[in-house]
Amino acid sequence: MLTKINVGPIHPSTHGVLRLVVTLDGDTIVNVEPHIGFLHRGVEKLVENRMYMQSESYMEKVDYAAPMAYSDLYVSAVEEAMGVHIKERAKYVRLILLELQRIASHLLWLGTFCNDLGQMFTMFMWTMKDRDLVMNLLQDATGSRMFYVNMRVGGVSMDLPPDFEEHAKSLLDYLEKRIKDYEAFLEKNPVFIERTKGVGVLSRKDAINLGVTGPVLRASGVNFDVRSAYTYYAYEKLNFMPQIQVKGDVFARYKVRILEMKESIRLIRDALKEMPEGDALGMPIKLISPPIKEKEVIVRRELPRGEGMMYMVTDKQKPYRLSIRAPAFINLSALNHMAQGAKYADLFAILGSLDLVMADVDR
Amino acid sequence: MVKLKISKNELIEKLNEAVKEGYNYLVKITAVDYIDHLEVIYFIRNIENKKEENIRLDIKDGERLPTIVNIFKAADFYERELSEMFGIEIEGRKVERLLLEKWDGLEAPLRKKFEWGADYKRD
Repeated sequence: MLTKINVGPIHPSTHGVLRLVVTLDGDTIVNVEPHIGFLHRGVEKLVENRMYMQSESYMEKVDYAAPMAYSDLYVSAVEEAMGVHIKERAKYVRLILLELQRIASHLLWLGTFCNDLGQMFTMFMWTMKDRDLVMNLLQDATGSRMFYVNMRVGGVSMDLPPDFEEHAKSLLDYLEKRIKDYEAFLEKNPVFIERTKGVGVLSRKDAINLGVTGPVLRASGVNFDVRSAYTYYAYEKLNFMPQIQVKGDVFARYKVRILEMKESIRLIRDALKEMPEGDALGMPIKLISPPIKEKEVIVRRELPRGEGMMYMVTDKQKPYRLSIRAPAFINLSALNHMAQGAKYADLFAILGSLDLVMADVDR
Repeated sequence: MVKLKISKNELIEKLNEAVKEGYNYLVKITAVDYIDHLEVIYFIRNIENKKEENIRLDIKDGERLPTIVNIFKAADFYERELSEMFGIEIEGRKVERLLLEKWDGLEAPLRKKFEWGADYKRD
């Protein structure tokens, strides 16, 4: 006999407001139907009614766990539309800040994911403390802790402070040690292994057909990362390597994110070494009706949650249409496929491994 | 990037051809309202060699589109989003429920004729 269970919209493991209607046969999941839209704000419509640079600060609220990545995506679309080239130093400054943002986002994910698995609060306390240190550094570089709004057309709002390099280096050494601690703590933990290995397996073929993206795609053995596939900023010069796992289960997704943090640390170190001198400042935000050259633009960036894409049809003062490809949205659509046949208790391990931000899903 | 303008009836055929050529990943389906017509765009990609193509078609108000869920499973959420945000009906789908909660019966908000804040009046 089939049972239907309603989960959410308010539930500690849904990371926001998500309602799932789960159909069960005994303890086995037959079907999961996500009901979304509790956080829908109509971002795409709001953008159509604002000047280009007015929308930048709003874009950060689309993904509040990695705000800078989204404002970078939007500003890149405006830059492309204007035909502006980014200053050489600004490329490195952006890369460093975005990789720090990725580490902060993955740390937040790791803590909450371990809470979902019942590893209550040990990891959460550790990762939140370390994320706070990353945010301190970002505060030094941008002036605010949570929503930065530091991307400007052609560059950034302020250059890195003089003592940034020293602080960053000591923080990176510390983080490298901490990530090793996390691995040692989790990968020798029988409960963590039991709950992640072989759970929620997504094969390579299905991952491509379902259109999943980011760490979820790479955990299924697909070598695709926007940073290397459609390279931007200085990633190619710094020899960026995409991190890939082949098993496609929850553990593989965890491992991909851990390896990505290590790769980010390496990228920041190298970028600090090779960063050229000069000017990194972009145009002041007063320029609210920029000279637009392109009729339509497509930009792609690797956000912490996966590939973000913006398709913008331009008009003189405002975007005519802005279409956002949100990585969390498409990863959520694959949940049903992954959860079918799993036990009910594993549902939240699988859901947690997708790293959803509901504001990003609903937009 | 290859842009391909096709008519509505060719859609399934063209996508099947593209899949045979190795375009195996659906990036996004989106639409733009140009007031006299709607342009629907299918962004597809060959994930092995990173080539991209977008297939575009124009439809009039009230015209229906065939579903492509049988070709790309990823299309499921995008098609639902399309019907909800642009009022385009998709034929041949199993799940008819729209995407966002409690959204049924509202006007399609991403159409240009939708006025936001129209029900709000200041004294």
